[in-house]
Amino acid sequence: MKVIPYRLNSAVSGFLLFTLATVMPALLQAETANGGQSVRAMTTNSSSVLLVLRNSGLFAFDGHSATAIPLPQSASAFRPSSLTKGADGQLYIGGPGLGVWRYDNVSERWQSLNDTLPDLGITAVAAHATEPGTLYAYHSQAGMLRSRDGGAEWVKVDSGPREPVQAFLHSDMPGSMESGWLFAGTTRGVARSMDCFCFWGDAGELRGLVSAIDYDPSAPENVYVVIEGQLHHSPDGGETWAGLDTPQAVTALTFSSTEGLVVGTENGDLLSRNVSGKWVPLNE
Amino acid sequence: MNRCLFPAVLVLVPALAMAKVGSTTSERIPVEVTEGRQIYEQYCAACHGGQGEATADWSKPDEKGEMPPPSHDESGHTWRHSDAMLFRMIAEGWRHPFNKTNRLTMPAFKDILTDQEIQSVIEYLKTLWTDDQRRYQQSESQDANQAENPS
Repeated sequence: MKVIPYRLNSAVSGFLLFTLATVMPALLQAETANGGQSVRAMTTNSSSVLLVLRNSGLFAFDGHSATAIPLPQSASAFRPSSLTKGADGQLYIGGPGLGVWRYDNVSERWQSLNDTLPDLGITAVAAHATEPGTLYAYHSQAGMLRSRDGGAEWVKVDSGPREPVQAFLHSDMPGSMESGWLFAGTTRGVARSMDCFCFWGDAGELRGLVSAIDYDPSAPENVYVVIEGQLHHSPDGGETWAGLDTPQAVTALTFSSTEGLVVGTENGDLLSRNVSGKWVPLNE
Repeated sequence: MNRCLFPAVLVLVPALAMAKVGSTTSERIPVEVTEGRQIYEQYCAACHGGQGEATADWSKPDEKGEMPPPSHDESGHTWRHSDAMLFRMIAEGWRHPFNKTNRLTMPAFKDILTDQEIQSVIEYLKTLWTDDQRRYQQSESQDANQAENPS
Protein backbone atom coordinates (compact mmCIF):
# COMPACT_ATOMS: atom_id res chain seq x y z
CA MET A 1 0.00 0.00 0.00
CA LYS A 2 2.86 2.35 0.76
CA VAL A 3 4.52 1.65 -2.62
CA ILE A 4 1.86 3.39 -4.71
CA PRO A 5 2.06 6.80 -2.96
CA TYR A 6 5.86 6.56 -3.05
CA ARG A 7 5.85 5.95 -6.80
CA LEU A 8 3.30 8.71 -7.23
CA ASN A 9 5.47 11.09 -5.23
CA SER A 10 8.51 10.14 -7.30
CA ALA A 11 6.60 10.74 -10.51
CA VAL A 12 5.33 14.14 -9.31
CA SER A 13 8.78 15.15 -8.08
CA GLY A 14 10.33 14.05 -11.33
CA PHE A 15 7.77 16.01 -13.31
CA LEU A 16 8.33 19.09 -11.16
CA LEU A 17 12.09 18.83 -11.54
CA PHE A 18 11.74 18.40 -15.29
CA THR A 19 9.41 21.40 -15.49
CA LEU A 20 11.74 23.53 -13.40
CA ALA A 21 14.77 22.48 -15.45
CA THR A 22 12.93 23.38 -18.65
CA VAL A 23 11.15 26.54 -17.57
CA MET A 24 13.62 28.21 -15.21
CA PRO A 25 16.30 29.08 -17.79
CA ALA A 26 13.59 30.58 -19.97
CA LEU A 27 12.22 32.50 -17.02
CA LEU A 28 15.67 33.77 -16.08
CA GLN A 29 16.31 34.73 -19.68
CA ALA A 30 13.05 36.65 -19.75
CA GLU A 31 13.89 38.28 -16.44
CA THR A 32 17.18 39.64 -17.69
CA ALA A 33 15.61 40.72 -20.96
CA ASN A 34 12.32 42.55 -20.81
CA GLY A 35 10.24 39.64 -19.57
CA GLY A 36 7.15 41.55 -20.64
CA GLN A 37 7.57 43.59 -17.53
CA SER A 38 6.55 47.17 -17.79
CA VAL A 39 9.40 49.69 -17.48
CA ARG A 40 8.93 51.82 -14.37
CA ALA A 41 11.78 54.31 -14.64
CA MET A 42 14.86 54.90 -16.73
CA THR A 43 18.04 56.91 -16.76
CA THR A 44 21.59 56.55 -18.07
CA ASN A 45 24.85 56.26 -16.22
CA SER A 46 28.02 58.29 -16.83
CA SER A 47 28.99 55.93 -19.67
CA SER A 48 25.62 56.41 -21.39
CA VAL A 49 24.57 52.89 -20.45
CA LEU A 50 20.79 52.70 -20.11
CA LEU A 51 19.56 51.85 -16.63
CA VAL A 52 16.12 50.33 -16.63
CA LEU A 53 13.97 49.82 -13.55
CA ARG A 54 11.42 47.04 -13.85
CA ASN A 55 9.29 45.26 -11.27
CA SER A 56 11.91 42.52 -11.26
CA GLY A 57 14.79 44.88 -10.51
CA LEU A 58 17.28 47.28 -11.99
CA PHE A 59 19.17 46.44 -15.17
CA ALA A 60 22.04 48.09 -17.00
CA PHE A 61 21.64 47.75 -20.76
CA ASP A 62 24.74 48.45 -22.82
CA GLY A 63 23.11 47.94 -26.21
CA HIS A 64 23.79 44.22 -26.37
CA SER A 65 23.01 42.67 -23.02
CA ALA A 66 21.29 43.48 -19.76
CA THR A 67 23.08 43.10 -16.43
CA ALA A 68 21.17 43.07 -13.16
CA ILE A 69 22.20 45.65 -10.54
CA PRO A 70 21.08 44.42 -7.11
CA LEU A 71 18.83 46.94 -5.38
CA PRO A 72 19.33 47.94 -1.72
CA GLN A 73 18.25 45.21 0.71
CA SER A 74 15.52 47.50 2.05
CA ALA A 75 14.06 47.73 -1.44
CA SER A 76 12.93 44.12 -1.36
CA ALA A 77 9.81 45.09 0.58
CA PHE A 78 9.18 48.29 -1.37
CA ARG A 79 9.01 49.38 -4.97
CA PRO A 80 11.50 52.01 -6.01
CA SER A 81 9.70 54.47 -8.23
CA SER A 82 12.29 57.09 -9.07
CA LEU A 83 15.66 56.79 -10.75
CA THR A 84 17.93 59.70 -11.60
CA LYS A 85 21.50 60.57 -12.50
CA GLY A 86 23.45 63.31 -10.75
CA ALA A 87 25.50 65.97 -12.52
CA ASP A 88 28.59 63.88 -11.71
CA GLY A 89 27.04 60.69 -13.11
CA GLN A 90 26.11 59.22 -9.72
CA LEU A 91 22.98 57.10 -9.68
CA TYR A 92 20.13 57.77 -7.22
CA ILE A 93 17.04 55.75 -6.50
CA GLY A 94 14.02 56.53 -4.37
CA GLY A 95 10.52 55.49 -3.53
CA PRO A 96 7.88 55.32 -0.81
CA GLY A 97 9.20 53.30 2.13
CA LEU A 98 12.67 53.39 0.64
CA GLY A 99 13.76 57.02 0.96
CA VAL A 100 16.76 57.96 -1.19
CA TRP A 101 19.82 55.86 -2.00
CA ARG A 102 22.98 56.48 -4.00
CA TYR A 103 24.87 53.80 -5.88
CA ASP A 104 28.58 53.82 -5.15
CA ASN A 105 30.33 52.80 -8.34
CA VAL A 106 33.53 51.83 -6.56
CA SER A 107 32.12 49.51 -3.92
CA GLU A 108 29.15 48.63 -6.15
CA ARG A 109 26.89 49.11 -3.15
CA TRP A 110 23.95 51.33 -2.31
CA GLN A 111 24.39 54.01 0.33
CA SER A 112 21.41 55.23 2.30
CA LEU A 113 20.86 59.01 2.23
CA ASN A 114 18.02 58.83 4.70
CA ASP A 115 19.56 60.04 7.96
CA THR A 116 17.97 63.49 7.91
CA LEU A 117 14.78 62.76 5.97
CA PRO A 118 11.57 63.21 8.01
CA ASP A 119 10.76 59.59 7.10
CA LEU A 120 10.98 57.33 4.07
CA GLY A 121 7.85 58.60 2.33
CA ILE A 122 9.67 59.87 -0.76
CA THR A 123 7.73 59.66 -4.01
CA ALA A 124 10.17 61.30 -6.41
CA VAL A 125 13.86 62.20 -6.59
CA ALA A 126 15.65 64.62 -8.92
CA ALA A 127 19.27 65.65 -9.25
CA HIS A 128 20.47 69.14 -10.14
CA ALA A 129 21.47 69.29 -13.80
CA THR A 130 24.84 70.95 -13.18
CA GLU A 131 25.60 70.96 -9.40
CA PRO A 132 26.80 67.49 -8.37
CA GLY A 133 25.90 67.73 -4.66
CA THR A 134 22.43 69.19 -5.08
CA LEU A 135 19.50 66.79 -4.88
CA TYR A 136 15.76 67.24 -4.56
CA ALA A 137 13.26 64.83 -3.05
CA TYR A 138 9.51 65.11 -2.81
CA HIS A 139 8.03 63.85 0.43
CA SER A 140 4.33 63.10 0.45
CA GLN A 141 3.74 65.12 3.63
CA ALA A 142 6.68 67.49 4.01
CA GLY A 143 6.82 68.66 0.39
CA MET A 144 10.04 69.60 -1.34
CA LEU A 145 13.32 68.73 0.34
CA ARG A 146 16.74 69.78 -0.92
CA SER A 147 20.21 68.62 -0.09
CA ARG A 148 23.28 70.56 -1.15
CA ASP A 149 25.76 68.02 0.17
CA GLY A 150 24.89 64.87 -1.71
CA GLY A 151 22.12 63.77 0.63
CA ALA A 152 23.88 64.14 4.00
CA GLU A 153 21.50 66.90 5.09
CA TRP A 154 17.98 67.35 3.74
CA VAL A 155 16.19 70.64 4.33
CA LYS A 156 12.56 71.40 3.60
CA VAL A 157 12.54 74.24 1.11
CA ASP A 158 8.98 74.41 -0.12
CA SER A 159 5.57 72.77 0.06
CA GLY A 160 5.69 71.99 -3.64
CA PRO A 161 2.89 72.35 -6.16
CA ARG A 162 -0.73 72.12 -5.05
CA GLU A 163 -1.12 68.53 -6.25
CA PRO A 164 1.14 65.64 -5.16
CA VAL A 165 4.27 65.12 -7.22
CA GLN A 166 4.63 61.81 -9.06
CA ALA A 167 7.83 62.54 -10.97
CA PHE A 168 10.11 65.51 -11.30
CA LEU A 169 13.29 66.82 -12.80
CA HIS A 170 15.77 69.63 -12.58
CA SER A 171 16.63 71.29 -15.87
CA ASP A 172 19.32 73.77 -16.85
CA MET A 173 16.98 75.48 -19.29
CA PRO A 174 18.02 79.15 -19.49
CA GLY A 175 15.96 82.02 -18.04
CA SER A 176 15.91 81.10 -14.34
CA MET A 177 16.67 83.69 -11.65
CA GLU A 178 18.85 81.05 -10.01
CA SER A 179 20.52 77.99 -11.52
CA GLY A 180 17.72 76.24 -13.36
CA TRP A 181 14.15 75.00 -13.28
CA LEU A 182 12.14 72.30 -11.61
CA PHE A 183 9.41 70.51 -13.54
CA ALA A 184 7.05 68.46 -11.41
CA GLY A 185 4.70 65.89 -12.86
CA THR A 186 1.66 65.90 -10.61
CA THR A 187 -1.74 64.23 -10.53
CA ARG A 188 -3.08 67.21 -12.52
CA GLY A 189 -0.39 67.91 -15.11
CA VAL A 190 2.98 69.62 -15.14
CA ALA A 191 3.98 72.32 -12.63
CA ARG A 192 7.07 74.46 -13.15
CA SER A 193 9.17 76.61 -10.86
CA MET A 194 12.55 78.25 -10.99
CA ASP A 195 14.89 76.41 -8.65
CA CYS A 196 14.64 79.24 -6.12
CA PHE A 197 11.17 77.75 -5.48
CA CYS A 198 9.81 81.20 -6.24
CA PHE A 199 6.47 80.10 -7.45
CA TRP A 200 4.91 76.89 -8.77
CA GLY A 201 2.73 77.55 -11.79
CA ASP A 202 1.12 75.39 -14.45
CA ALA A 203 3.43 74.54 -17.32
CA GLY A 204 0.87 74.87 -20.07
CA GLU A 205 -2.56 73.34 -20.11
CA LEU A 206 -1.73 69.66 -20.34
CA ARG A 207 -3.87 67.79 -17.82
CA GLY A 208 -3.72 64.30 -16.33
CA LEU A 209 -1.63 62.16 -14.02
CA VAL A 210 2.01 62.46 -15.04
CA SER A 211 4.00 59.26 -14.50
CA ALA A 212 7.32 60.22 -16.11
CA ILE A 213 9.13 63.38 -17.13
CA ASP A 214 12.47 64.24 -18.72
CA TYR A 215 14.08 66.81 -20.99
CA ASP A 216 16.65 66.97 -23.75
CA PRO A 217 19.89 68.24 -22.15
CA SER A 218 21.19 69.31 -25.56
CA ALA A 219 18.06 71.39 -26.24
CA PRO A 220 16.66 72.10 -22.77
CA GLU A 221 13.42 73.76 -23.92
CA ASN A 222 12.31 70.30 -25.09
CA VAL A 223 10.44 68.61 -22.25
CA TYR A 224 8.70 65.22 -22.48
CA VAL A 225 6.09 63.73 -20.18
CA VAL A 226 3.96 60.61 -20.02
CA ILE A 227 0.31 60.87 -19.06
CA GLU A 228 -1.61 57.61 -18.85
CA GLY A 229 0.60 55.91 -21.40
CA GLN A 230 0.60 58.82 -23.87
CA LEU A 231 3.88 60.58 -24.60
CA HIS A 232 3.73 64.39 -24.87
CA HIS A 233 6.37 66.85 -26.03
CA SER A 234 6.81 70.55 -25.32
CA PRO A 235 9.26 72.47 -27.53
CA ASP A 236 9.08 75.62 -25.38
CA GLY A 237 9.81 74.73 -21.79
CA GLY A 238 6.31 73.56 -20.98
CA GLU A 239 4.27 76.39 -22.49
CA THR A 240 2.66 74.24 -25.18
CA TRP A 241 2.36 70.48 -25.59
CA ALA A 242 1.62 68.03 -28.39
CA GLY A 243 1.09 64.26 -28.25
CA LEU A 244 3.66 61.98 -29.89
CA ASP A 245 2.55 58.70 -31.44
CA THR A 246 4.19 55.59 -30.06
CA PRO A 247 3.62 51.94 -31.02
CA GLN A 248 2.81 50.98 -27.42
CA ALA A 249 1.72 52.69 -24.23
CA VAL A 250 4.75 54.43 -22.71
CA THR A 251 5.60 54.08 -19.02
CA ALA A 252 9.08 55.66 -18.71
CA LEU A 253 11.50 57.81 -20.67
CA THR A 254 15.03 59.15 -20.63
CA PHE A 255 17.59 60.88 -22.80
CA SER A 256 20.69 59.03 -23.86
CA SER A 257 23.64 60.85 -25.40
CA THR A 258 23.97 58.01 -27.91
CA GLU A 259 20.33 57.05 -28.58
CA GLY A 260 18.54 60.34 -27.98
CA LEU A 261 15.00 59.97 -26.65
CA VAL A 262 14.39 56.46 -25.31
CA VAL A 263 11.07 55.25 -23.97
CA GLY A 264 10.15 52.16 -21.97
CA THR A 265 6.76 50.66 -22.65
CA GLU A 266 3.99 48.85 -20.89
CA ASN A 267 5.04 45.64 -22.67
CA GLY A 268 8.57 46.05 -21.39
CA ASP A 269 10.17 47.14 -24.64
CA LEU A 270 12.77 49.88 -25.02
CA LEU A 271 12.34 52.09 -28.07
CA SER A 272 14.50 54.90 -29.36
CA ARG A 273 13.39 57.59 -31.77
CA ASN A 274 15.52 57.95 -34.86
CA VAL A 275 16.08 61.17 -36.83
CA SER A 276 13.05 60.55 -39.01
CA GLY A 277 10.88 60.25 -35.91
CA LYS A 278 10.44 56.48 -36.25
CA TRP A 279 10.55 54.30 -33.14
CA VAL A 280 13.23 51.62 -33.26
CA PRO A 281 13.44 48.77 -30.72
CA LEU A 282 16.59 48.48 -28.65
CA ASN A 283 17.23 44.78 -28.31
CA GLU A 284 18.12 43.57 -24.87
CA MET B 1 22.42 106.88 52.44
CA ASN B 2 24.04 109.39 50.15
CA ARG B 3 27.39 107.72 50.75
CA CYS B 4 25.83 104.48 49.54
CA LEU B 5 24.38 106.10 46.44
CA PHE B 6 27.58 107.80 45.34
CA PRO B 7 29.44 104.60 44.34
CA ALA B 8 26.30 103.34 42.66
CA VAL B 9 26.12 106.53 40.59
CA LEU B 10 29.78 106.12 39.73
CA VAL B 11 29.12 102.63 38.39
CA LEU B 12 25.72 103.22 36.79
CA VAL B 13 26.33 106.47 34.95
CA PRO B 14 29.16 105.14 32.77
CA ALA B 15 27.17 101.95 32.22
CA LEU B 16 24.12 103.96 31.11
CA ALA B 17 26.33 106.10 28.91
CA MET B 18 27.75 102.90 27.34
CA ALA B 19 24.24 101.60 26.84
CA LYS B 20 23.34 104.85 25.10
CA VAL B 21 26.34 104.48 22.77
CA GLY B 22 25.39 100.83 22.19
CA SER B 23 21.82 101.68 21.25
CA THR B 24 23.08 104.37 18.89
CA THR B 25 25.22 101.72 17.19
CA SER B 26 22.34 99.26 16.92
CA GLU B 27 20.18 102.03 15.44
CA ARG B 28 22.44 102.11 12.38
CA ILE B 29 20.42 99.25 10.88
CA PRO B 30 17.07 101.01 11.37
CA VAL B 31 18.59 104.11 9.75
CA GLU B 32 19.42 102.01 6.69
CA VAL B 33 15.97 100.49 6.81
CA THR B 34 14.37 103.92 7.08
CA GLU B 35 16.34 105.13 4.09
CA GLY B 36 15.42 101.94 2.22
CA ARG B 37 11.77 102.47 3.01
CA GLN B 38 11.85 106.02 1.66
CA ILE B 39 13.49 104.85 -1.56
CA TYR B 40 11.05 101.95 -1.80
CA GLU B 41 8.08 104.29 -1.45
CA GLN B 42 9.49 106.60 -4.10
CA TYR B 43 10.50 104.03 -6.73
CA CYS B 44 8.95 100.63 -5.96
CA ALA B 45 5.63 101.03 -4.13
CA ALA B 46 3.65 102.08 -7.21
CA CYS B 47 4.09 98.59 -8.69
CA HIS B 48 4.80 96.37 -5.67
CA GLY B 49 2.39 98.01 -3.20
CA GLY B 50 2.93 100.36 -0.27
CA GLN B 51 3.57 97.46 2.12
CA GLY B 52 5.04 95.13 -0.53
CA GLU B 53 1.66 93.46 -0.97
CA ALA B 54 1.46 93.85 -4.80
CA THR B 55 -1.88 93.19 -6.48
CA ALA B 56 -4.18 90.28 -5.70
CA ASP B 57 -3.42 88.40 -8.94
CA TRP B 58 0.33 88.90 -9.01
CA SER B 59 1.01 85.18 -9.43
CA LYS B 60 -0.86 84.84 -12.75
CA PRO B 61 0.02 86.39 -16.12
CA ASP B 62 -2.00 89.52 -16.90
CA GLU B 63 -3.96 90.28 -20.08
CA LYS B 64 -0.72 91.18 -21.89
CA GLY B 65 0.80 87.83 -20.98
CA GLU B 66 3.22 89.41 -18.52
CA MET B 67 3.83 88.26 -14.97
CA PRO B 68 2.74 91.18 -12.76
CA PRO B 69 5.15 92.72 -10.20
CA PRO B 70 5.34 90.21 -7.33
CA SER B 71 4.56 90.76 -3.69
CA HIS B 72 7.60 91.49 -1.50
CA ASP B 73 5.98 90.66 1.82
CA GLU B 74 5.80 87.27 3.48
CA SER B 75 3.24 86.05 0.91
CA GLY B 76 5.71 86.53 -1.94
CA HIS B 77 8.97 84.85 -2.89
CA THR B 78 11.46 87.71 -2.57
CA TRP B 79 12.80 86.11 0.62
CA ARG B 80 13.90 83.08 -1.37
CA HIS B 81 16.64 85.08 -3.12
CA SER B 82 20.10 85.86 -1.86
CA ASP B 83 21.20 89.46 -1.28
CA ALA B 84 23.38 89.18 -4.38
CA MET B 85 20.46 88.07 -6.56
CA LEU B 86 18.13 90.77 -5.18
CA PHE B 87 20.82 93.37 -5.82
CA ARG B 88 21.24 92.15 -9.40
CA MET B 89 17.51 92.20 -10.09
CA ILE B 90 17.13 95.75 -8.81
CA ALA B 91 20.26 96.99 -10.56
CA GLU B 92 19.83 95.25 -13.91
CA GLY B 93 16.07 94.69 -14.08
CA TRP B 94 14.22 91.53 -14.95
CA ARG B 95 11.64 90.03 -17.23
CA HIS B 96 10.02 86.66 -16.69
CA PRO B 97 11.22 84.37 -19.49
CA PHE B 98 7.69 83.20 -20.29
CA ASN B 99 6.26 86.70 -20.67
CA LYS B 100 4.60 87.20 -24.03
CA THR B 101 6.28 90.58 -24.43
CA ASN B 102 9.98 91.35 -24.63
CA ARG B 103 10.11 94.45 -22.46
CA LEU B 104 11.95 94.56 -19.17
CA THR B 105 8.94 94.53 -16.83
CA MET B 106 11.14 95.19 -13.80
CA PRO B 107 13.19 98.24 -14.82
CA ALA B 108 16.92 98.53 -14.16
CA PHE B 109 17.79 100.97 -11.37
CA LYS B 110 21.58 100.99 -11.63
CA ASP B 111 21.57 104.46 -13.23
CA ILE B 112 19.05 105.82 -10.75
CA LEU B 113 20.10 104.39 -7.36
CA THR B 114 23.55 104.05 -5.83
CA ASP B 115 24.76 100.63 -4.67
CA GLN B 116 24.19 101.76 -1.08
CA GLU B 117 20.64 102.84 -1.86
CA ILE B 118 19.88 99.49 -3.50
CA GLN B 119 21.31 97.74 -0.44
CA SER B 120 19.09 99.90 1.80
CA VAL B 121 16.00 98.87 -0.15
CA ILE B 122 16.97 95.21 0.33
CA GLU B 123 17.37 95.81 4.08
CA TYR B 124 13.92 97.37 4.16
CA LEU B 125 12.40 94.41 2.27
CA LYS B 126 13.76 92.10 4.96
CA THR B 127 11.51 93.80 7.52
CA LEU B 128 8.48 92.55 5.57
CA TRP B 129 9.33 88.86 6.12
CA THR B 130 8.85 86.42 8.96
CA ASP B 131 11.77 85.36 11.16
CA ASP B 132 11.88 81.96 9.43
CA GLN B 133 11.97 83.63 6.03
CA ARG B 134 14.79 85.96 7.16
CA ARG B 135 16.77 82.95 8.39
CA TYR B 136 16.22 81.12 5.09
CA GLN B 137 17.25 84.17 3.08
CA GLN B 138 20.35 84.67 5.21
CA SER B 139 21.34 81.08 4.57
CA GLU B 140 20.75 81.51 0.81
CA SER B 141 22.93 84.63 0.87
CA GLN B 142 25.71 82.78 2.69
CA ASP B 143 25.53 79.88 0.22
CA ALA B 144 25.62 82.32 -2.70
CA ASN B 145 28.64 84.08 -1.22
CA GLN B 146 30.38 80.79 -0.70
CA ALA B 147 29.66 79.70 -4.27
CA GLU B 148 30.94 83.06 -5.53
CA ASN B 149 34.07 83.09 -3.36
CA PRO B 150 35.06 79.52 -2.54
CA SER B 151 37.90 79.54 -0.01
